[in-house]
Amino acid sequence: MPIVDLKNVTFEYIRRDNEGNVDGITTAVDGVSLKVSPGEFIAVLGANGSGKSTLAKHINALLFPTEGAVFVDGMNTADEDKLLDIRSTAGMIFQNPDDQIIGQIVEEDVAFGPENLGVPSEEIRKRVYDSLDAVGMSEYGLRSPDRLSGGQKQRVSIASVIAMKPKCIIMDEPTAMIDPEGRREILETAHRLNKEEKITVILITHYMEEVVDADRVFVMDKGKVAMSGTPAEIFSRVSELQELRLTVPQATELAHRLKMAGVPIRDGILTGDELVSAIMKLWSAAR
Amino acid sequence: MQKDNTLIELNKDIPILEAKHLVYEYRTAAAKLIRAVYDVSFNIWPGEFIGLIGHTGSGKSTLLQLLTALEEPDSGTVYFKGQDIFEKKYDRKKLRGKVGLVFQYPEHQLFAETVFADVCFGPLNMGVDRKQAELTAYDTIKKVGLEDECFYKSPFDLSGGQKRRAAIAGVLAMKPEVLILDEPTAGLDPKGRDDLLDMIASLREDAGMTIILVSHSMEDVARYAERIMVMNKGKLLLDDTVSAVFMHQSELKSAGLAVPEVMEIMTALSSSGMPVRDDIFTTDDAAEEILRVLREYRVI
Amino acid sequence: MLRDITIGQYYQTDSVMHRLDPRTKIVLTFVYILSLFVFENPAVYAVAALFLIIEIILSAIPLLYMVRGLKPVVFLLAFTVVVNLFFTGGQELVSFWIFRITIEGIKRSAYLMGRLIFLVLASNLMTLTTAPVSLTNALEYLMKPLKIFRVPVHEVAMMMSIALRFIPILVDETNKIMKAQIARGADFESGNIIKKTKSLIPVIIPLFVSAFRRANNLAQAMEARCYNGGEGRTRLNPLKYRRADIVAYVLLVIYAVLIVFMGCFLFRVIPIAV
Repeated sequence: MPIVDLKNVTFEYIRRDNEGNVDGITTAVDGVSLKVSPGEFIAVLGANGSGKSTLAKHINALLFPTEGAVFVDGMNTADEDKLLDIRSTAGMIFQNPDDQIIGQIVEEDVAFGPENLGVPSEEIRKRVYDSLDAVGMSEYGLRSPDRLSGGQKQRVSIASVIAMKPKCIIMDEPTAMIDPEGRREILETAHRLNKEEKITVILITHYMEEVVDADRVFVMDKGKVAMSGTPAEIFSRVSELQELRLTVPQATELAHRLKMAGVPIRDGILTGDELVSAIMKLWSAAR
Repeated sequence: MQKDNTLIELNKDIPILEAKHLVYEYRTAAAKLIRAVYDVSFNIWPGEFIGLIGHTGSGKSTLLQLLTALEEPDSGTVYFKGQDIFEKKYDRKKLRGKVGLVFQYPEHQLFAETVFADVCFGPLNMGVDRKQAELTAYDTIKKVGLEDECFYKSPFDLSGGQKRRAAIAGVLAMKPEVLILDEPTAGLDPKGRDDLLDMIASLREDAGMTIILVSHSMEDVARYAERIMVMNKGKLLLDDTVSAVFMHQSELKSAGLAVPEVMEIMTALSSSGMPVRDDIFTTDDAAEEILRVLREYRVI
Repeated sequence: MLRDITIGQYYQTDSVMHRLDPRTKIVLTFVYILSLFVFENPAVYAVAALFLIIEIILSAIPLLYMVRGLKPVVFLLAFTVVVNLFFTGGQELVSFWIFRITIEGIKRSAYLMGRLIFLVLASNLMTLTTAPVSLTNALEYLMKPLKIFRVPVHEVAMMMSIALRFIPILVDETNKIMKAQIARGADFESGNIIKKTKSLIPVIIPLFVSAFRRANNLAQAMEARCYNGGEGRTRLNPLKYRRADIVAYVLLVIYAVLIVFMGCFLFRVIPIAV
C-alpha cells in the first residue's frame, strides 16, 4: 500500500478583490495524481507559485481537495475521525523556523506533538530525547530556541515532528530561509532519517542541488505535474527545466553545454565528481 | 555579466566609502562580550560591484548598518566621499539617501496603500518635492521591472517576486550613489533570482551605481561581482578580486564557505592532469576553457 | 536598545528555589506580597526581610544580580520617597520654603520604600528561579477552579505561553523594521507628538502584517502537530509536589502565623493606606 496516494487532486480557491467581490477562481493544484511508496525519498520541485506548497498541505490534511481524494497510509483525509492519525502519520515541516516553534524551551517544543496525542509523560520524555538525538540536537534540550541558528531551529522542528512517530515527513521548503551551512545540516538530517529510521520523506524545494540524492523527482508547474522521474532523468532535460523557471546544478549545466558543443558526454550528470570522471575518461582515452 | 570598466565619469581619486578600524561590540544577556565587527578597514571606489560574503553571525549585517550609520561604532569610523559620517554635525539622514540599504526580506517593510505611494516614501523623506518624488517613483518602478498595472495596486496584493522589486524600488527612488543589498534573492526561485540579479547589474551599467551585494551564494557573487570581501568572526578575512579570493580555498573552507562548484571541477580536472586553467568560476568560462583544451589536444 | 529587553528573565542554575514546584513559588510569592500590605510595623518588616534573605540565599542567585533588578523601579522609588518625605503632615522636624520634613513622613517613606523593594525583589525572585513555561503551566493548574465559571483556563495559559515565546521575536522585528524605514529616511524623533505618532505608521503596518502572518503560520503548525485544545493532553513535565515543596508550605504557614502574631499583638494594626 502506498504511504501517500493522491488521486486526481484539484484545489481551487476564490480570489476576491479589495471590496470582497469575487474576482476569479485560482486553480492552485490541477488534477495531480501520484503515489509514494513507504521508505522513498521524494523531491517536489517547482518555481514560486507552481502549487507545490498547496499540494504539500493536502498530505497533512491542512487543506482538503476540491476534487479528487488524498489517502495517507490508507486513510482518506476527508474522514474527520482520522484527522489526528493522518497528521501524526504524515508530519509537516514548514518554511519559517520561527513560526513553527511553539515551546519556549527546546524539549517543551519537541514534546508538543506527543502531548497533544496524550502520550504518557515518561514516554514523552523518552521520545523527546530520542528525537533530539536523531537530529543531533540532544544537548540543546533545555535551551531557548531563540538562541539557535536557523539550521538548528529547523532540526528542532524536525525532531518535533519525529516525536509523533510519523511514517512520513513532508518538508515544505525547509531550507528557503536558511544559510548554506544550515541547509546542509537539514538535508543530511532528512537523508539520515530516511535511511536509518526508514521514514518516507517528501521534500519540497526550489533548490536543484537538494534533489540530486532523491529517489524520484516531481516537477510542478501551474498546479500540474510537469515532469517526473529520477534526478538523472529530470536533469538531462535542461532546457525544459529552464522553461519552468528552474535551473540545474552547475555540474549538470556545464555537462549540458559541453554536450551541446559536441563533446560526447552522457546525459544526467548530477555532481562535479561525475562530470570530472566523465571528462577524464574522454581525455585519457584520447591520449 | 558586465565586467569591464567602461563606466561613466566618476571621481575616482577618493573612495566613495572608506571604513577605518571599525569596531562594534555588545554584550549578551549573559554579559558575554561579542565582537560583531573588529578592526575592519577598507576602501570602496565609485562604480565597483562588490560581493560581501560570510556566514550567519560573521558580522556582515552589522557592518552594513555601520556603513549607513544605523549603528554607531565603538571605535573607528566611516568616510563617505571623504567626510566622516559619525561627525556630530554630519547629516546622516541625507547619507542614507546616498548610501541606500536594502534589508533582507525588504517586502516585510512595505506599508503604504499603493506601490506608488510606498516608493514615494523615501524621496519625500529626503525633502524632494512631491512632483519630483512622483516622477522619480514612476521611473524607478519601471526600472525594477514592475508592470504598469502594479502602480496602484496594494503592495500586499503583489506576488512574492513583485513585492521584493517594489521594496527595492523604495530604496532606489532616493537615487543612492551606493546601493547595498542584504541577500536580495533569499527565498526567490532560480529564475526570479537570476532576473533580480540581472536587474541589479544593469543598475550599475546604466547609472554607474556602486553596488555591495551580500550573498551566501558563491555562484551569484562570482557571476556579478568583480571584488569580494569575506567576513569571518567579525573580521575582514579576505578582500580581493574574485579570482584571487577563490584561490584561498582552505581559508574559505575554515570560514564555513565553499568556492563555486565550477571552480572545484576545474581544480579537479587540472590536478588529474588535464591542462586547464583552474581560476575559472563561471559555467560559461569553464565550458569555453574545457572545449579549448579538448580541441587543442584533438580529443574532439 | 531594544535588544536589551529580556522577557521572562529566567536565571539558569540549580538551587533549592529552582527545584521547587512552580505552584509553590506562585503561592509563596502571593502570600509574601500580601503580608507586606497588611501590617506596617518594624517587627513585621524585619521578619519579612529575613524571609526574603533566606529565599535569596537558597536561590543561589548573586545578590548583585538581584539588586540590579531594582533598576527599573529606581525612579518610582525616588518619587515615592520624595512625595512622602516632604508632603506628609505631622510633627515637624525640619522645614524650608514649601518643604516640611516630619517624623511621620520619614516613617511613611521608609515603609513604602521597604514594601516596594521587597515586592520587586520577591516577584523577581519568582521569575528568576522559574522558567516562563513552568509559570504558565502552574497558572493553568492554579486557575483550574475557574473552569466552573466557564473561564477557558487552558486557552488562556496557552495564549500566555505563546505570547512569551513571540514577544522577543516581535521586539526584534520592530527593531528591524524601524531600521529599514530609517534607511529610507524616516524620522521618528523630531516634530510634535502628532507628527511623531504619524511617523510610526510605516512601522506599525508592517509589524501588524507580519504578526498576522506569523499567527497564521503558527496556527497551521500547531494544527499540523495535532493540537486539538486542552482535552486529553498530557505533559512532558507534569507538576508534582516533592518533599521540598511540603517543607516550603510549612515554612510559609509559620511565616504567616508569625506575621499575623506580630502585627496583631506586638504592635497595633495600622489600616492599609496606599
